[in-house]
Amino acid sequence: MTKALTLADVNVTIKGSHILQGVNFEVEAGVVTGLLGRNGVGKSTTLRSIVGLVPRVGSIKLFEQEISGLKTHEVIRAGVAFVPEDREIFSTLTVLENLKLAERDKNPDYDTVYNLFPELLKRKSQRAGTLSGGQQQMVAVARALLNKTKLLLVDEPTKGLAPKLVTEVADALEVAAQATTILLVEQNLPLIKRIAKNIIVMDQGVVVHSGVPTELENPEFAKQMLGVSGGSH
Amino acid sequence: MEIFITLFITGFGLGALYFLVASGLSLIYGLMGVLNFAHGAFLTAGAYATWYFTTSIRADGSLSSYVISLFIAGVVGALFAVATEQILIKYLYDRHIDQALVTVGLGFVATSAYLGWFGSDPLIVLPPTQLYNTVQIGDAFVGIDRFLYIGVAALVLIANFLMMRYTRIGLIIRAGVENRSMVTALGIDVRKAFTFVFFIGGFAAGLGGALATTYASGVGPTLGDAFLIYAFITVVIGGMGSVPGTAIAAIVVGTTQVLVNYYVQGLGDFVVVMLLALVLLVRPQGLLGKVAH
Amino acid sequence: MNLLPGKYRYVPVLAMVFFGVAAFTPILNEPGLQQTFAVAFLFAALALTYDLLLGFTGLLSFGHALYYAAGAYGAAYAMARWDWGIIPAGIFAMVFATLIALFTGATALRVKGIAFAMVTLAFAEAGHVIAVLNMWGLSNGDQTLQLNFDSVPDFFLGVNNTRNLYLLALVTLILIYVAVWWLTQSSMGRVLQALRDNEERVSVLGLKPFNFKLIAFVLAGVMAAFVGVIAVIVTNNANPVMGSTQTTISLLLMVILGGIATRWGAVIGGLIYVVLSQRLTTLDTQGALSGLPEWIGGPMSEPAFILGVIFILVVMFSPGGIAGALYRLRMKFGSSVK
Repeated sequence: MTKALTLADVNVTIKGSHILQGVNFEVEAGVVTGLLGRNGVGKSTTLRSIVGLVPRVGSIKLFEQEISGLKTHEVIRAGVAFVPEDREIFSTLTVLENLKLAERDKNPDYDTVYNLFPELLKRKSQRAGTLSGGQQQMVAVARALLNKTKLLLVDEPTKGLAPKLVTEVADALEVAAQATTILLVEQNLPLIKRIAKNIIVMDQGVVVHSGVPTELENPEFAKQMLGVSGGSH
Repeated sequence: MEIFITLFITGFGLGALYFLVASGLSLIYGLMGVLNFAHGAFLTAGAYATWYFTTSIRADGSLSSYVISLFIAGVVGALFAVATEQILIKYLYDRHIDQALVTVGLGFVATSAYLGWFGSDPLIVLPPTQLYNTVQIGDAFVGIDRFLYIGVAALVLIANFLMMRYTRIGLIIRAGVENRSMVTALGIDVRKAFTFVFFIGGFAAGLGGALATTYASGVGPTLGDAFLIYAFITVVIGGMGSVPGTAIAAIVVGTTQVLVNYYVQGLGDFVVVMLLALVLLVRPQGLLGKVAH
Repeated sequence: MNLLPGKYRYVPVLAMVFFGVAAFTPILNEPGLQQTFAVAFLFAALALTYDLLLGFTGLLSFGHALYYAAGAYGAAYAMARWDWGIIPAGIFAMVFATLIALFTGATALRVKGIAFAMVTLAFAEAGHVIAVLNMWGLSNGDQTLQLNFDSVPDFFLGVNNTRNLYLLALVTLILIYVAVWWLTQSSMGRVLQALRDNEERVSVLGLKPFNFKLIAFVLAGVMAAFVGVIAVIVTNNANPVMGSTQTTISLLLMVILGGIATRWGAVIGGLIYVVLSQRLTTLDTQGALSGLPEWIGGPMSEPAFILGVIFILVVMFSPGGIAGALYRLRMKFGSSVK
């Protein structure tokens, strides 16, 4: 298997708290990998450490390229796109300005974006701060899909969304998965089962398990690893 | 009434000068979180550049020499500002308090360097004779230089607006004021925008310095420091990071100061600082500043 | 944080004793030098009161000079206009400064960080304006408010008594040092430092951060006012510069230069700052800089230039100032000495 991303002994300390304590895992290229775990075990910090938004120590490889020494914008330009947990769209900018800001390629792929989210085309002149939560999430995902990327990092894209919107975001991620590798932090286990090929489970700042989504069918496993009874369904 | 008109336009003109200093301060703070205490030194540098150019290079007293000197003052202010960012600020990335302290030190150093180079007495800068003319409005006669300050500040405001609205760097600055780290997470090297805001901020301050030599009839080492305090007040009242807010606040501060000072010498300065305290207490983010979420 | 380990604890005491004795020996016998050091002691004391805010409470004020000036002007005014003696005038000045500090502090502390710095700057600037423009005939403007010589004992007057002024300033410094030491060691001092480090944690304990900060602000202001009263005796006047933003900024420089939140760092910063600025000027008038080209010699003759450059270097390369640098040296070499 080709590895799109390899983390080796990644440590993050913020204000004296040792949040990531030697994280090791690999992400298979060309598929969706789910990054799971209870709240506060370091999933978001892991994604932020990959793009250099938190100070990190250790080795992070994007395919063959070592990126742990790069600054955030350099990591992104190396072919990574990041959809952060709280969307972090620019509320004073219009939808179109939000997208324009994210342009890196010569020919950003607005067709795909507007096909997936026709709503954004309709509202392109609207201030992003006035959008609904779901629409803001579309902007955040759309920003990541405009350019060709080697790796897409997505942090809880369905958090707080209505079921219909969850489906829409999931569809978008599936389309994106046809062209790139996705590392997805997600609490919504049905969604993981639907689109992920592999899963990685974290606990207390380290990776405790790597496997496949079918393991989540086992209620004992889900309970032990994630503290949820997510096996049903 | 005629006195009121004269005073009001004079205050408006002073506000225009404040705006030139404050717009850069506001953007630098909004984007980088740096309170730039060296900004007054940029202004003074521009003022001395004007003095040098109009007394030693083209001392013909013509309007064209004056206009050229405005431009040169802007460039001098901009280069000083960019050097500051590249040599001092850049290496203290994300150490906000240290960045502010370094600018305090630089302001200190610059003022004393000016003192060593040019002496403590103000050097006289004679504007071209055209600026001595007055314009009649109703029964009031107003010095034409006031309109020059207002005109230049208006140009800067418009240029700023166009730049912010229609250029990519403007887009990056607006986004950066809101959420800097997300801008870098879109693959943008936001440090280039830092250098850029120092450039335009320094240019506006240098321009303000050139005009201040006309307003104050000359330039001394502490010219910029005097403007800096009121520019700070303007920025805070207007809201950090908001150029339109800064423009409104500059007019309020300038006119209040001049009008009240006319009736009680010194009370205008007093009223303005009290106005700052009041605004901060009622609306800590300033008139149009970004609201902390 | 106390950077002085046990065996160095007596260094400040020894230094003060040295300065006390030195005034009676040829080392520090000359009135000009004594006057310089007297002013230096007062600024060191003032820097200490500023460090109580900045270092020990985490409040960045740009208006601390206001309370220094309030003390100086309050005392000078009571002596000059009402013919009061120095003691009642001094008490009046400190009550006056307390009221101002209470009002301005309670107002400014409603906001935080840069906004707080700006509000304090504004209040101080307002006071400065009153002093400069001699509003309501209070201050005599740039003419300065002169010390009423009838209000102070004779042994504080005249060049012959400079040594007494020197000792008065030294005692003032010692008093302020002890007061700040006592305050920062007290349980309230520990609350203040906890506030500086993590305000929420203190609020969770049910303590009101605002009250503690206000107390610290007022105490620092009152101590600054006390120094102001003494400064009127030592320098024979109260002048507008005392209340200027420049004065506060020089206090900031002193504290950062010496080392924040260490107490003796502020003292060293204050001493170095004042002595250097006075002596560098002398250096220039003696022609030490005459060999240099004008473009560099000009600024070099301005003490503030060199002090500013040193300050920038300290901020960039030696966080923690002189105290921090000594501390790192000891970490590097000190353990082997032990």
